[in-house]
Amino acid sequence: MSAENAVAVLGAGNWGTTLAQLVAENGFDVRLWSRDPEQVREIEETRLNPRGMPGLVLSPRVRATAEFARAVRGAEVVLLVVPAQAMRQVARSLGDVLSPEQLVLHAAKGLELGTLARMSQVLAEETCAKRIGVIAGPNIAPEIAAGEPAGTVASSRFPEVVRCAKRLLTSNRFLVFGGTDVVGVELASALKNVVAIAAGMAHAMGMGENAMSLLVTRGLAEVTAIGSSFGARPATLSGLAGVGDLMVTCRSKHSRNHRIGEALARGESLEAAVARLGMVAEGVTTAVAARALAAERGLECPLLERVYSVLHEGLAPTEALEQLLRLRAGRDVAWS
Amino acid sequence: MRELRGACATRERHEEAPAPASTRRGGRSKRKPPSFSRWLGSCLAGRVGPAPRSIPPWPAFVPAGAAATLPTRPATPGWMAPGHEIAAEAKRRVLARALAELLGGTVYHERQRLARHPRGVQRAEDRTFVAKLHRALAHAEDPSALLEETVGRYAGEIAGHFDPRVYAFATRVLPLAFTALLNGTTPGEALFRVPELGRLSDRVVTSGAIERLRALERLGTVVLVPTHVSNLDSLLFGYVIHALGLPPFAYGAGLNLFTNRVLGYFMHNLGAYTIDRTKSDPLYRELLKEYATVALERGQHQLFFPGGTRSRSFGLERRLKKGLLGTTLAAFRNRAASGAAEGRIFIVPATCSYPLVLEASSLVDDFLHRTGRERYLPPIDEEPDRVELWLGFLRKLMALDVNLDVRIGEPLDPFGCAVDDRGRSLDPRGRTIDAAGYLRSRGEICADPQRDAAYTEQLEERLLEAYRRDNVVRATWAVSFAAFELLRRRFEAEPVHRLVRRIHPGTSIRRTELLLLLTELLDEIARLAEKGAIARNEELGAGPEEVLEQGLRCFATYHGFPVLSARGEAVVVGDASLLYFYRNRVEGYGLLSAPSLLPEEAS
Repeated sequence: MSAENAVAVLGAGNWGTTLAQLVAENGFDVRLWSRDPEQVREIEETRLNPRGMPGLVLSPRVRATAEFARAVRGAEVVLLVVPAQAMRQVARSLGDVLSPEQLVLHAAKGLELGTLARMSQVLAEETCAKRIGVIAGPNIAPEIAAGEPAGTVASSRFPEVVRCAKRLLTSNRFLVFGGTDVVGVELASALKNVVAIAAGMAHAMGMGENAMSLLVTRGLAEVTAIGSSFGARPATLSGLAGVGDLMVTCRSKHSRNHRIGEALARGESLEAAVARLGMVAEGVTTAVAARALAAERGLECPLLERVYSVLHEGLAPTEALEQLLRLRAGRDVAWS
Repeated sequence: MRELRGACATRERHEEAPAPASTRRGGRSKRKPPSFSRWLGSCLAGRVGPAPRSIPPWPAFVPAGAAATLPTRPATPGWMAPGHEIAAEAKRRVLARALAELLGGTVYHERQRLARHPRGVQRAEDRTFVAKLHRALAHAEDPSALLEETVGRYAGEIAGHFDPRVYAFATRVLPLAFTALLNGTTPGEALFRVPELGRLSDRVVTSGAIERLRALERLGTVVLVPTHVSNLDSLLFGYVIHALGLPPFAYGAGLNLFTNRVLGYFMHNLGAYTIDRTKSDPLYRELLKEYATVALERGQHQLFFPGGTRSRSFGLERRLKKGLLGTTLAAFRNRAASGAAEGRIFIVPATCSYPLVLEASSLVDDFLHRTGRERYLPPIDEEPDRVELWLGFLRKLMALDVNLDVRIGEPLDPFGCAVDDRGRSLDPRGRTIDAAGYLRSRGEICADPQRDAAYTEQLEERLLEAYRRDNVVRATWAVSFAAFELLRRRFEAEPVHRLVRRIHPGTSIRRTELLLLLTELLDEIARLAEKGAIARNEELGAGPEEVLEQGLRCFATYHGFPVLSARGEAVVVGDASLLYFYRNRVEGYGLLSAPSLLPEEAS
């Protein structure tokens, strides 16, 4: 196979492995990079990646490697699927080997702590990449790996990046919608994780469907307020990456953030809950970023604020809920 | 293996082969046998045997005038015109109609322009031409000649001219003449006495990436893109280019600048090409962009103001003209596609910091009228620019003993990447990259208008950042900002044009109050300057008292009413709109936690 059409997938976790498989099933060569040589050997020998996606037999087109440069050099497209807080480090190494010809997509749902940078901003700061896009949506990896139908959004200022994401990923089980609002998709997909934690807590507390709906919708209103103050189009937040992703993370048992919320409501400590999950729950760190973003724009976000307090200040979930219910109800949605 | 990306967006479609000569009429004379379907038809109608030849044909309708080109149907039944001939004629008509539609657009846009700008340059000629074009379009068989004429006319108007003799003369004599005039002597005197050559150069202090600009000028084509506040800018930057020892730059200048004969002569022969911003005809716009692109491809350094027009509010540019800015990318791409490895294009931002602005009053009036929508005033671009006015202003400026700071910013490539001394593009971490890669899709360099527009937007963002960083704050601006903020807090009127109207001439501010706020402001500016987010003129190094004095001293010299003046323990506003104007230059930095008072500028 010619190297020039290869796709580099950086990150062999749950979603990275699934995306690599989707791309490979569409007939492209995939170089799956993992920083763990042990995992690489296992994939190469058994075609299985039990730590990433148990039970998934990887296509022979997926070649795992631990050598960063080998994965990236000459690849037509680089797809980053790493945790938000690791993005800058990976992007730094990427900057050493990336060339302006290559297109870059990322599927990380989070914001960088400290700088509050979005992932595409981190990539633009650390690499020569300009043609950058983001993939986000209601994508629970195990379902997609099992061949269940799903859809996602690919967003970029560059139409060719969107076209490329569609070519790589579209199948009769997976729909890829296009968009240009990168800010909207990135903020929506990051901030909804915080709402998902709240939904998890409510779920474990045995709240009714009305209450769940109230919680999630108010959460969305707060996410939309923050998003539009940073230039996101409100319509994006009601799209797949916003409402779509929110619906799944707030309901699904698979959702990591949802599980963290549930564990907290049952009285587990955050550390214990994260340890038991064994994967990164972006919402935990995004709650910190969300609070800072809201403060920066002078926005009141009571729900996001309470989730932060529960996660990082030891507020009891029941007390947080009580506080929320005591708030004066203002306008339903912002004036447009 | 499937294709990753679509084929290049602009793979040229093959032009259809030229139509066969329309005079091919030979086929008509040949007698054709009756067609099968006709024969079958007649069989079904009960007649067996060959079709009778006695049925008279329908008389063909031939429009008047078209008789010469339309072959008339022969009197023989069963004859079919050759399809290609019919197609050729249809094609000719469709092409003619498409061209006529295009030129109809020209007529429309030009008519609109003439109605909007009744005092415009060359009005009578343009009117005649448009009328003629309109008439001709109604009858034209083949409008391509008209298209040629129209575009040719625009091209003639845009075309710059460069005469090295005039350049040599101008660069030798003009500074002398300038210096002399500024000193209050006549040019004649100045030429005979040994003039103080240093005078002008003492006043214009150029700083920033000068060495890099010099280096890059030899390595490729430079596009100098300064901020724009005054018609003096083109003159000033022309001077700066010469003073830095750079070869002449071509530049696009407003049509109105050519109305002054002396100035027009110099501008024309110094490489200026004409831009008529009032023309909205897409044909004209395209031609203008292509002119700039070709000039860049041929290695002609250029100076243009990407803001498009002088900032009416004195606020820094908030968006740039992407059409003209995008010509740098187009030229880069054309060069790269033709295999020219070297010969890069560098975009160099620059700012000029005026303590006072020549056209401040008319600019701010225009701005307030536009945003306030009170009444319509004809755009001030059409005022004749008078050289004496300019010189009077410059003389006053010189008398003030202040500098004009010109800052040369860090050069960029057409994608907004930084560039090193050897002209190589750098990534954000300073690693060299091959910028042509940004134009490749599947290994091929190709044009993609949407992609290229997104790159140009990034270049725009970088330039706007550069303008903000290299904005050299003056005493007049800082004093105005603090004073206006005090008045805003006092009157609390919204929107801003109402606030400006409420501040009557004679409104006074307590000096102590102003000094207090000014101190705070100067501290904030100093902190920003330390971070490199803004620059300061040396005036601002002194204490708030001195800064205030310096500001008032400047204001006392030029405008009809001093913008601000001291009266005992008070500072009195002379002209609120000008106060607003000068404050706007430091808007957008979040200073004094003042809200934004700059409404979107109507374009």
